[in-house]
Amino acid sequence: MMDVDARILKIALIGNPNSGKSTVFNQLTGLRQKTGNFPGITVDLKEGSMRFSDGREAMLIDFPGTYSLYPTSSDEKLVSTVLANPADKFFPDAIVYVADVTNLEKHLLLLTQLLDLGMPIMMALNMSDTAASMGIKINASKIAEALDIPVVLVSGRRGDNISKLKQDIEKLAKNTDFKPRRPVYKMSALEKQVTEAVCLNLNVENPYRALQLAHHHKWFPFLHPNEKAVLATIVQTKDFQSLRAQVDETLDRFDRFTPIVQDTIQKPPTFPNTPTDRIDAVLTHKFAGPLIFFAVMMLVFQAIFDWSVYPMDWIESGFSGLSEMLQNNLPAHWTTELLTDGIIAGLSGIMIFVPQIALLFLLITILEEVGYMARVVFLFDKTMRRFGMNGRSVVALIGGSACAVPAIMSSRTIGNWNERLITVMVTPFISCSARIPVYLVLIGLAVPKVKVFGFLGAQSLVFAAMYALGVVAALLSGWAMKRWLHTRERSFLAIELPVYRMPFWKNVWLTVWEKVSAFAIGAGKVILLVSIALWALARFGPGDAIATARAEASIKADSMQLGPVGTEDFIKQSELEASWAGQMGKTIEPAIRPLGYDWKIGIALLTSFAAREVFTGTLAVLYNMGSAEGDINDRSENEAKTTLREKMKRETFLDTGQPVYSLATALSLLVFFALAMQCMSTLAVVRRETGGWKWPAFQFVFMTGLAYLYAWLVYVAFSSPLPPS
Amino acid sequence: MMQRRYRSILDLKINESAKALAFSDAELACKLTSMGVLPGAVVELVRLSPFGHAYYIKVDGIRFALRQEEASSILLEI
Repeated sequence: MMDVDARILKIALIGNPNSGKSTVFNQLTGLRQKTGNFPGITVDLKEGSMRFSDGREAMLIDFPGTYSLYPTSSDEKLVSTVLANPADKFFPDAIVYVADVTNLEKHLLLLTQLLDLGMPIMMALNMSDTAASMGIKINASKIAEALDIPVVLVSGRRGDNISKLKQDIEKLAKNTDFKPRRPVYKMSALEKQVTEAVCLNLNVENPYRALQLAHHHKWFPFLHPNEKAVLATIVQTKDFQSLRAQVDETLDRFDRFTPIVQDTIQKPPTFPNTPTDRIDAVLTHKFAGPLIFFAVMMLVFQAIFDWSVYPMDWIESGFSGLSEMLQNNLPAHWTTELLTDGIIAGLSGIMIFVPQIALLFLLITILEEVGYMARVVFLFDKTMRRFGMNGRSVVALIGGSACAVPAIMSSRTIGNWNERLITVMVTPFISCSARIPVYLVLIGLAVPKVKVFGFLGAQSLVFAAMYALGVVAALLSGWAMKRWLHTRERSFLAIELPVYRMPFWKNVWLTVWEKVSAFAIGAGKVILLVSIALWALARFGPGDAIATARAEASIKADSMQLGPVGTEDFIKQSELEASWAGQMGKTIEPAIRPLGYDWKIGIALLTSFAAREVFTGTLAVLYNMGSAEGDINDRSENEAKTTLREKMKRETFLDTGQPVYSLATALSLLVFFALAMQCMSTLAVVRRETGGWKWPAFQFVFMTGLAYLYAWLVYVAFSSPLPPS
Repeated sequence: MMQRRYRSILDLKINESAKALAFSDAELACKLTSMGVLPGAVVELVRLSPFGHAYYIKVDGIRFALRQEEASSILLEI
């Protein structure tokens, strides 16, 4: 037998949405938390560690907020699934239930259900500070007595009583002689028959868990087909009406705990016109509401583009300084090149996005924390349904402008499978921050710096148009998918609009930290690997192809009298052409030539299928490989960028001699990047969320096909007819 | 038969309130009761969304947004 004490105790944090559960979780764990990425489970759970007084660690698991064990979204389903299955690896040893004490009469339903599951449980009555300011009087010990569980009054925001909560959790988790108490809910005669049959046939001990199995047997993922069949037979022969029973049970539970709340909590009479009412009169107003939403979005994007420029510049110049220092001090060898052109270039390509992603998530998290996002759901539910989605999809689409990966995960709150699927499928159309550098380079190349109507920059207009293109593509694809996927499944809006609150900054910082580190580590690994592989592919070639190319090029260069820098450039170009990357680019050139791309763009496109932001890095590698190092490093960053642009401008097709980067090619590339699916991390997360390769494969083909089609159309429309030869 | 014994949120004017009596749909009843919208509660219509179709309501001082279909499933006292 294993020593019980040696095992890590699992403690679940459970509560309704808006109970302040995450705040309590963050107070208990601080930075000692991570979002687990658990194979086999399609939902991420946040876990954190908590140290007990004797030095032992316990694992605290933050479950998604849910109202009841009768779920309607996949977020909520997770709670029922884990708690109904003692074999689940997240099945907790004890539960800490978090409730909003200012609305306790609505927050006890789930608690009483958990009580009936017969697990060790305690309650943290949260928001004691708000309650005090509202003049609410709470008799916590009387609540504890009535429910027969430990109860602590805490304030997650102010940190009041958190240490007491920790002590009580420790006591609860270590209590070995726990005895289940009398169930709160008295089952009906029919429910008793059903649960007895389930207990007997499936060897379940707890009657309420048996009842859960009867209710949810159709979708509980852990049940064996034989068990499902047995449960289906029981439900059928007893004529057990699940929905009806759920409502009756819920009402019965409310009848039982409402008197307890009335007995223990005294609320002063409420005033009709609270600050939340006054704010909502404006923010959810018929006309002002949508206008304010668009103004807020404009402000968010303005902030991202204008403010993040400075830290991005620092990061860029920091990395190029480091690269320069290493080049000057390390021997000229391929390992040095690997370090500077492969690894450091790759790292810089990741870190450069951190300011934008951090800023975007900071703003989105603040909007979420204050309670604004729920209003956005209310404002745009009908609009989004036209496009096959749900008001909740807006939150995912906004998040998609930072990064599609977390945005797609946020779609779990959507209950209807089709609406959720469409949201997952179209979110990557929204221009994410990885597309920004690609847009910047291409727009700088193709669009002249002129003012339209005297004040609007033509370049900024095209930039805005790229975002608009993404939104339009997302909505129209949603509309098309809605036509195609028919469903009878119910779709719900029913959402609570929480009281407006100041953001709790610890929650905000921790969320931003979590998203940024997930990006830097998760996506970063891929980008770094791709940059290293790319460097190697461009540096080496089949057999002695590179050496041959070098020898031939130096003879040719002599005859062309190019001068020292020109010769060096020409030789490097020829070497690149002979390299593995050059070969690959040449192979796919026929396929992309209709869009106006040459083999170098081809290589960049191939590499950008790992992650879009690799594109500019690849071009920089490809075009910079030729230049004498001092040439770039002696100049300021901006000038170095201009050099890349100048070089791109000078590029010509090998056969026709036409410039590669005409307006038509650049616009065609812009459209391609706006629409194509070029992100392995997104495909991986779509596979996880949809449970297979079918949907990510469809998404890849659909988005990339659409991108090819429109890029071709744009190229044809903008390229002037070829002069007769 | 019993049609005129109830009305729904759709029949309320802005800022008007009425007592909820029952639900006309089991699935919605399950969802709404678990969120704390119960028979006997006082339901107030606060406003409509920009394009109609969504209802901002208050139940015992707690705010909810419901679709037309959801709002119409709550049967109110006349």
